[in-house]
Amino acid sequence: MKLNITLNGAKKSLEIAPNAYLLDVLRDLAGMKSVKRGCGEGTCGACAVLIDGRLRNSCITFAAHCEGATVLTVEGIGSHEHPHILQKAFVNHGATQCGYCNPGSLLAAKALLDRNPDPTMDQVKEALDGNLCRCTGYVKRIDAVLDAAKEMKSSREEKR
Amino acid sequence: MLAHVARFYHPTTVEEACSLLAAKDHKNVALAGGTHLAVVEDSGIEGLVDLKGLKLTHQRRENGRITIGAMNPVEDLKTSTLLSGPGGNLLRLSAAAIGSTPLRHAITVGGNLVAAFPWSDLPPALLALDTEVVLRRGKEERVLPIGKLYETRPTDVIKADELVTEIRVSEFATSTGTAFQKVARTKNDYALITVAVRLTLKDGLISEARVALNGLTRRPCRITSVETFLTGKKCDKDIFREAAKKAGDGIELTSDFRASREYREEVLPVYIRRCLEEAAANVSK
Repeated sequence: MKLNITLNGAKKSLEIAPNAYLLDVLRDLAGMKSVKRGCGEGTCGACAVLIDGRLRNSCITFAAHCEGATVLTVEGIGSHEHPHILQKAFVNHGATQCGYCNPGSLLAAKALLDRNPDPTMDQVKEALDGNLCRCTGYVKRIDAVLDAAKEMKSSREEKR
Repeated sequence: MLAHVARFYHPTTVEEACSLLAAKDHKNVALAGGTHLAVVEDSGIEGLVDLKGLKLTHQRRENGRITIGAMNPVEDLKTSTLLSGPGGNLLRLSAAAIGSTPLRHAITVGGNLVAAFPWSDLPPALLALDTEVVLRRGKEERVLPIGKLYETRPTDVIKADELVTEIRVSEFATSTGTAFQKVARTKNDYALITVAVRLTLKDGLISEARVALNGLTRRPCRITSVETFLTGKKCDKDIFREAAKKAGDGIELTSDFRASREYREEVLPVYIRRCLEEAAANVSK
């Protein structure tokens, strides 16, 4: 069957199996290798992507369920040459070691900041509660998100 | 893995979805948030009927009643600005207790209600609020009290081609207090104990008490022994302590690797007492 989605801003029409998971479709058919398979049962958040702005675990989301949806992966928020403010903040704070949780964590943080540009620490913790990180001990990535929020705020004010 | 799923449907009306679920030649099942269906092994399922297109995502408040569409992700209950008052607050708190952020964006009100796993957090709150569940089978509609669904398993009551489309609860705007507690090893872990309480008062006495549980029983349930004991009594710490002692009466507690039956037996009355005290402290004027 056909799956029509808007992936990172581009319209895609992919030939998928009716029982395929979004994770496999994104990695194997659309080449979005930032999306990682962790637990494979919706617990760790390594595969999290934004579907119509909502953070969802792609390993437990049927691809066909996303028909007509807008899907965002880390490839859609920044590149090596032009990283997103959140990506820079993760690097600056050392909120990355093995990097496996980063794509999901970054999208969780982006979903938060899109909705709430000025979050409290508790709100950051809650927004990232579905993204396990076994390297950094969480503090660094919370600092990174708070810092990115601050930076985004000041760049908005400069533009005014 | 649903190895034999060869069809995936996107119906746009309840009637269309029900007729797909009624198919005799192959087995179709309804797909809501999919957090459970995506991880089960079931080679018998041949088609998935996605309920997303049915647009059952409404939330309304009218004449003291709250109406919620079955396809609301529970995250939208958690963050709802519409839900307030004792009834609305209990719904919001129970939705907030579910899983993690990505799971709450997937899990739906209808799915949590029907799947009713021991760790589902919404069912005890729905029981405490005397929720009405609206079921549709094509154009045919029936309304059941939530308790009816948990007498056995919801799937024994709901027909294969029938869908939960909506829940209705009272706001309990006046003289009511509610409380909710989930006990788990971590915030994201499955609940060891979930308690939801509602106390509705009349002339200073408890006229309606609801104490509902999940997490430590096979199915979500109310503890009627505690409820009966409280009815007609004052909100009083000693009475609550006495009531909590009856917690284990008439219910069979489960035991698993997360917590033994003995542990749950010991801890349950403590949480019931705390919930009763909290509910009494926030009774609306």
